[in-house]
Amino acid sequence: MLEASTTSRSVGQGTPLEALLSQVALGNREAFEALYRGTAGQLFGICLRVLAERSEAEDALQDVFTAVWRKAAQFDATRASATAWLAMIARNKAIDRLRSMPARKARTDIELAQDLEDPGASPPQQAQAATDRVQLERCLDQLEPRRRALIRAAFFEGCTYEELATRLDSPLGSIKSWIRRSLLQLRECLGP
Amino acid sequence: MSAADLPSGDNGPDGTEPPSDDLLAAELVLGVLDSAQRHSLQARADADRAFAERIAYWEQRFAPWLSDIEPVEPPARAWTRICQRLGWKDTDPTSSNARGSLAFWRTVAAFSTLVAVVAIWMALQRPPQPPIAGPRVTQERTVQPVTPLWNENGTPGWLVSIDRSRGTVLVVPVPTRPDTQGRTPNLWVIPMGKAPQWVARVSPDMSETVTVPSDVRGSLVAGSVLAISLEPPNMASAAPTGPIVAKGSI
Repeated sequence: MLEASTTSRSVGQGTPLEALLSQVALGNREAFEALYRGTAGQLFGICLRVLAERSEAEDALQDVFTAVWRKAAQFDATRASATAWLAMIARNKAIDRLRSMPARKARTDIELAQDLEDPGASPPQQAQAATDRVQLERCLDQLEPRRRALIRAAFFEGCTYEELATRLDSPLGSIKSWIRRSLLQLRECLGP
Repeated sequence: MSAADLPSGDNGPDGTEPPSDDLLAAELVLGVLDSAQRHSLQARADADRAFAERIAYWEQRFAPWLSDIEPVEPPARAWTRICQRLGWKDTDPTSSNARGSLAFWRTVAAFSTLVAVVAIWMALQRPPQPPIAGPRVTQERTVQPVTPLWNENGTPGWLVSIDRSRGTVLVVPVPTRPDTQGRTPNLWVIPMGKAPQWVARVSPDMSETVTVPSDVRGSLVAGSVLAISLEPPNMASAAPTGPIVAKGSI
């Protein structure tokens, strides 16, 4: 799984996932298959989170790995960890697919106060991810609780501004303003 | 939630004024933009490095949430379909699961060992601190990036760490059987779009630091490929004649 990357990020291409990615960039199919075996479960989980329908999530997973094969050379370990890079490709492909679906089934209303608030304990992550996590949660804690819940809802469900406005029965401008202000506040707290 | 909960909106983003690049990147990563906006921003990121960095910033910041999501094993057909989409011949789905995960962990284990070996080796190479006398000068020694060179079968074969300030490279081999034809490994650097340049003859079973010929040092930059070829002991260093047994890009 993604926790495989336990070695320090300070050793250049030092983590196994990053080394595998650099091999994939050179066209090594065996490294690509090893990468798939090691990360497909996590990335499929991410696709399923955005696309509740299994067949859609499977298609998204194919989008993810074809993109990884083609874009591996663009991975830059100085900008992101391999884990974050792969996870975000999965999320982006899932959201792209979600957006292209003709009639999106409306999900249940967003319950801002419950469910979305507490992610629960997470499995041990690599040191850098743990630092990122602590920082993210600390900065989110500085947001007003309902704004925090809105940010989480937007992220996990991949809702557009328009959809959030419909589901919360609030004016679009208010939702935009609310989220943008929250993002600016987060940005200030998260630092450079 | 209602508009009444919101600040007046007269001195900040109120949904009408154009958002900054940083905010656009944040919105893209948060996932609140529609399809057309996503595509235009993604296309922009491909050409605009600074904007791509803003996106990477937010992706890294939100990444912890994604690792909270429970993994779900995809069906075996997913791998087959990926291979088909990439135009590869179908791999055997029944055996590839076990073989693939074994290959992954073997690669992970081999690579982790190599990283540990290099870390220890580099620590041992650290020059002794001079005795403290007068103003103390600490010697800066930055961590050098490590370039793995991979064998044809995808296993790591060599690790190379470049020290540009000294014009040397540390070469760490994974010991293998000696070549049956008595050839020895040679390290080459292949700058993008150019012919290979000879760097050094290297040991097949011992770590060593070799000095790079001064006219080749400029080629040891990101984008160049490092390669190991097997050459006869008395070969001339103009161009590789033997097989490339391992390679990796810097």
